[in-house]
Amino acid sequence: MTNDVQERRGFRASDLSMLAGKKGSLKEFGILGALVVIVVAFQIATEGTTLSSNNLINIIQSQSYILILAVGMVMVIIAGHIDLSVGSVAAFVGVVVAIAMNDWGLPWFVTILIGLGLGVLVGAWQGFWVAFIGVPAFIVTLAGMLMFRGLNQIIGQSRGIPVDREFVNLLAGYLPEVGPFTGYNNLTLLLGALAVVAVVVLELRGRAKRVRLGAAVPPMWVAVTRLALVAIVIIAAALLFASGREGTSFPNAGILFVLIALAYAFVTRNTSLGRHVYAVGGNRRAAELSGVRSRWVDFFVMANMSVLASVAGMLWIARAQASGPADGGGWELDAIAAVFIGGAAVAGGIGTVAGSIIGGLVMAVLTNGLFAIGVGSDWIPVIKGLVLLIAVAIDVINKQQGRFSFIGLMLRGLRRGRSNDLS
Amino acid sequence: MKKTAIVALAGIAAVTVALSGCGRTEPGAEGGDDAAGFAADASIGVALPDRTSENWVLAGDLFENGLEEAGFEGDVQYAGSSNAVGDQQQQIQQMIDSGVEVIVIGAADTNQLATQLEAADAAGITVIAYDRLIQNSDLVDYYVAFDNFHVGELQAQSLLEGLEEKFPGEEPWNVELFSGSSDDSNSAVFFDGAMSILQPAIDDGTINVVSGQTTVQQTATEDWAAENAQNRMDTIITSSYQGVELHGVLSPNDNLARAIIASATGAGFPVPVVTGQDSEVASVESIVAGEQYSTIYKDTRALVAAAIDMVSELQAGEEVTTTGESDNGAVEVPANLLEPVIVTQENAAEAYAENPDLEPLTQP
Amino acid sequence: MEQARPTILSMRHITKEFPGVRALDDVSLEVATGTIHAICGENGAGKSTLMKVLSGVYPHGSFDGEIVYRGERVAFSRINDSERAGIVIIHQELALIPELSIAENIFLGNEPRGVLGIDWDTVRGRSRELLARVGLDEDPDTQIKNIGVGKQQLVEIAKALEKDVRLLILDEPTAALNEGDSQHLLDLLVGLRSKGVTSIMISHKLNEIEAVSDAITIIRDGKAIETLDIRDGAVDEDRIIRGMVGRTLGNRFPDRAGHAGEVFFEVRDWTVQHPLTAERLVAKQSSFTVRRGEVVGFAGLMGAGRTELAMSIFGRQYGTWLGGTIVKDGKEIQLRSVSEAIANGIAYVSEDRKALGLNLLDSIKRSIVSAKLGKIARGGVVDALAEAKVAEEYRQALRIKAPTVEMGVDTLSGGNQQKVVLSKWMFTDPDLLILDEPTRGIDVGAKTEIYQIVRELADAGKGVILISSELPELLGLADRIYTIFEGRITGEIRAADADQETLMRRMAPTKGDAA
Repeated sequence: MTNDVQERRGFRASDLSMLAGKKGSLKEFGILGALVVIVVAFQIATEGTTLSSNNLINIIQSQSYILILAVGMVMVIIAGHIDLSVGSVAAFVGVVVAIAMNDWGLPWFVTILIGLGLGVLVGAWQGFWVAFIGVPAFIVTLAGMLMFRGLNQIIGQSRGIPVDREFVNLLAGYLPEVGPFTGYNNLTLLLGALAVVAVVVLELRGRAKRVRLGAAVPPMWVAVTRLALVAIVIIAAALLFASGREGTSFPNAGILFVLIALAYAFVTRNTSLGRHVYAVGGNRRAAELSGVRSRWVDFFVMANMSVLASVAGMLWIARAQASGPADGGGWELDAIAAVFIGGAAVAGGIGTVAGSIIGGLVMAVLTNGLFAIGVGSDWIPVIKGLVLLIAVAIDVINKQQGRFSFIGLMLRGLRRGRSNDLS
Repeated sequence: MKKTAIVALAGIAAVTVALSGCGRTEPGAEGGDDAAGFAADASIGVALPDRTSENWVLAGDLFENGLEEAGFEGDVQYAGSSNAVGDQQQQIQQMIDSGVEVIVIGAADTNQLATQLEAADAAGITVIAYDRLIQNSDLVDYYVAFDNFHVGELQAQSLLEGLEEKFPGEEPWNVELFSGSSDDSNSAVFFDGAMSILQPAIDDGTINVVSGQTTVQQTATEDWAAENAQNRMDTIITSSYQGVELHGVLSPNDNLARAIIASATGAGFPVPVVTGQDSEVASVESIVAGEQYSTIYKDTRALVAAAIDMVSELQAGEEVTTTGESDNGAVEVPANLLEPVIVTQENAAEAYAENPDLEPLTQP
Repeated sequence: MEQARPTILSMRHITKEFPGVRALDDVSLEVATGTIHAICGENGAGKSTLMKVLSGVYPHGSFDGEIVYRGERVAFSRINDSERAGIVIIHQELALIPELSIAENIFLGNEPRGVLGIDWDTVRGRSRELLARVGLDEDPDTQIKNIGVGKQQLVEIAKALEKDVRLLILDEPTAALNEGDSQHLLDLLVGLRSKGVTSIMISHKLNEIEAVSDAITIIRDGKAIETLDIRDGAVDEDRIIRGMVGRTLGNRFPDRAGHAGEVFFEVRDWTVQHPLTAERLVAKQSSFTVRRGEVVGFAGLMGAGRTELAMSIFGRQYGTWLGGTIVKDGKEIQLRSVSEAIANGIAYVSEDRKALGLNLLDSIKRSIVSAKLGKIARGGVVDALAEAKVAEEYRQALRIKAPTVEMGVDTLSGGNQQKVVLSKWMFTDPDLLILDEPTRGIDVGAKTEIYQIVRELADAGKGVILISSELPELLGLADRIYTIFEGRITGEIRAADADQETLMRRMAPTKGDAA
């Protein structure tokens, strides 16, 4: 190994943090920790149901559309806007797609294109008002929330409109069973294996490139341990998802979500476009004076959100096998909550795709687990509301004093008490 | 370095082995017919829509107690109010996964549960649609409800009787029509039942719908929300009842009836003849006091009891009691339809005699 | 009166720690009654922390040491406590509410009550008296947003006087003021001193300190280095600088290379209209030239139109363009947007680092490459390695004081932030850099470094436009200076032939003559 020169030998406690990844993703690490705690707690409370194959599949099937919305929403929020219309847009696109299939008799793949096209049009409409007229996104999308909800009910005449079986099988179905009987869904296992290979290859290639260019690399043992941890998680997930009921696999909707999440994580982290979104949200005027076309950034994030909302809408009508007048109710709030639990800032400029997905999963697992242990639906919003509040509060406290610690908080309280005694 | 790699590989191998125990068994082992009956202490899932009406809360309590008394293990779940359909889908899937034998579904949306019914079918679970008939699916095994078409007929009859009683000889009576939420398949059934009586009266000029709004879409009340009914009534009064008397209103349920009465009296009209349904406490008081004209008594106790009887029959492998069949668009679903009772000031005491909550209200 | 003036304030052995940092390390400070006491030190030395300790922003108990004020030990747990005791702090960022009137601001939170709510007659009457005391000739009903920064500063002092101030703390009071306003403010402090009000003034402007203060305490790296009595005139600027940076700085301004090249950038008849008021022109037929390797100074009072001129050239980022042409390398060019300006090799370092120059949420690395991402991106994908490499080069070349380029720019001192901004624009490979007040709010050490960078840029053949309110800076750094008054270029002079007086006369022709 010729690159040993680059490699620091020996172990330091600080190296452990490198396991988390390159950048100071301490925040995401924190939320991930919270997710793990919640999962473990429910796993115990439900006596093993939470991490059962069927339940994991259920969670992915019932949340992938919200998670996709969260991916778009985090970009909107980073750019300093908000989108309240996503649920209504999803419902609007859903009803048109259903009608195209059911009443007009168009083949399902054509209707998917219609749905995406409609998402683009709606997005361009909302983006136009936000970016080029300067109406605050809150207002534009509040209007959109009302308009597209109404349009859904006008177009669908508030009926339930069924969709084609092929459409359902594609977007709400599962991978087929192929190959010999192994006790697992073979394609899911294959996907898991491919994911492990991809992760290893990417990591090693990146490392080789850094070494070639003379950049610092973390010690090899860190890389290997990190890869091993990731591989373990992927393999465990693949085995679990592959062993659900006969005919199930990692859901198609989940595959679509993973692809979307990877693509957007890449865009936000590694592209000029992503940088521009952060720049506009962080300091709009400074970004403009650095040559960023802020209006087009606004237009892009708003339009993109509506396209993703159309995807979510189509996933939903596939899962429900019909569109309906109440589709998408409250989705915007779920997506926004996921983004803020994931560490985004209300003022814009801060947030990550990964964080938002973890935030969305926190909410998803919470809902699922509370259902499973029979907590009433009246209490669930109360608990979710508190979780949102506490997550953001910890974030705020963090910012005020460097790093959050309960010990620090208590010491501060003690000091204050002492000073009051003196004065 | 090498050591780390070995440890890492060992870790991966360990997890793989540990989890590989949980693979599936050979296919074809499960499924099959539900005619044979099942264990007497089996779990029974009950998925109800959101908790925003008294009736559903009461039904939930009755199911919990009733199933327990019958020896079953009941798993009663309500959907949340914001994303009710999504919640319900997830809850039904969880019930299927936890191995219930029967699922009783009060659907949050009668069109959007097909995927879950398929999963239930695959797992050999019997599905009973409770109160609301799940549409366009051939996988609904039974339906238990009040005869909703008859509910509409009874409402229309009582409206005509009330008009005759309060405004004799003033024909044509000016009447407005309200129907329920359009995402509830019952709404149209109520309305159709009522129109089967009212349409002849409109045609022969006995009653006059001044606003001209007589279709189920025009008269719909989204989400069954009182607020929406009140807004619509306000708007109609402003646009169509300037200097015109309002004699009666067809209201599909009590909550909307009270909102309609509030709107009419707020606009300075005397209380019109207003129908209702559900026998909610406030409306029963109103009927006894002579304001709201009528309501429908659909005894939730009787309906829940009928559903639980059905479960017991299934458990024992007996033939399930039905009174007929209901068309859900895909198939004729075997149904047990109970008879509703119309209640006015006159027969209130008699109708509620058996009901511990409502009976005291009818005593002067 | 000469000797043994009573001490109004003595802070003894103050130590204040933040997680991982000791911001103040056993600092002691004695302030005599009826004096103006200056506190100097580089940015981050601990001056502001010390004042926050004094005023109760950091409550008693959150630091070690004791504070004796007017003979008594005090323990302020919030800022109201210190204000009640007559200590008023005026921050650099003014705490006035723009939509309220002068009078309302003066009495905010302290409104005199009448039978029917606030007694507005008293408010206006008292305001008028207070405004007269601070020498501000404005109607008390004028909204704050309609008066300039200099006058706002005076309103702050009036507000302090209303609270019966005994010890007035001013944090860089003249940083945002032009010469005239600064002078007025300093005169006011001297006047207050004669009425028995003690002032503590944090300032970077050594000439001002020399002119008005009685004593000066120098803080460096969280420690009080020394207190100098400067009334007898034995202390000069170099002496103070030596205390602040711990060494003698050589010539503060680098030597000029001497010969500039040919004219490569020319603006002709540039006319720009105010964005809101159509009849107001912020640039009137302005024409000027820049040579390669030349530093061209722009001198003018605040509001003369220097920034407006620069920003309107830089991709029309200010006002409405009415006419005029830009010629670069013999060809007329159109700069309709910032991207076009950057593409044509123009860079603009704005006067307001935090609001316009940086995204404070970004790291050093990401800030440096932000104005020309295309240089390190292929097909829209940023090359993270190239980015880190570029940033590291600039960190070393410009001596940005930060352990790594991953650090957030919000953690840097003003001088280092400015170096990041300079790096960001140097990264765009500009031919012409417009530097708008590049040393505002920056300590002496960093200033010298920035002067050095500016000179190096010019020596490398770039054209530099330097806009500055500090005349010594212009005289020391520029080769040629244009003066601007009310949007019009009033003169052009070789720096070698100019002094402060000649510049002032051209910057304020009518006022200068009247005074």
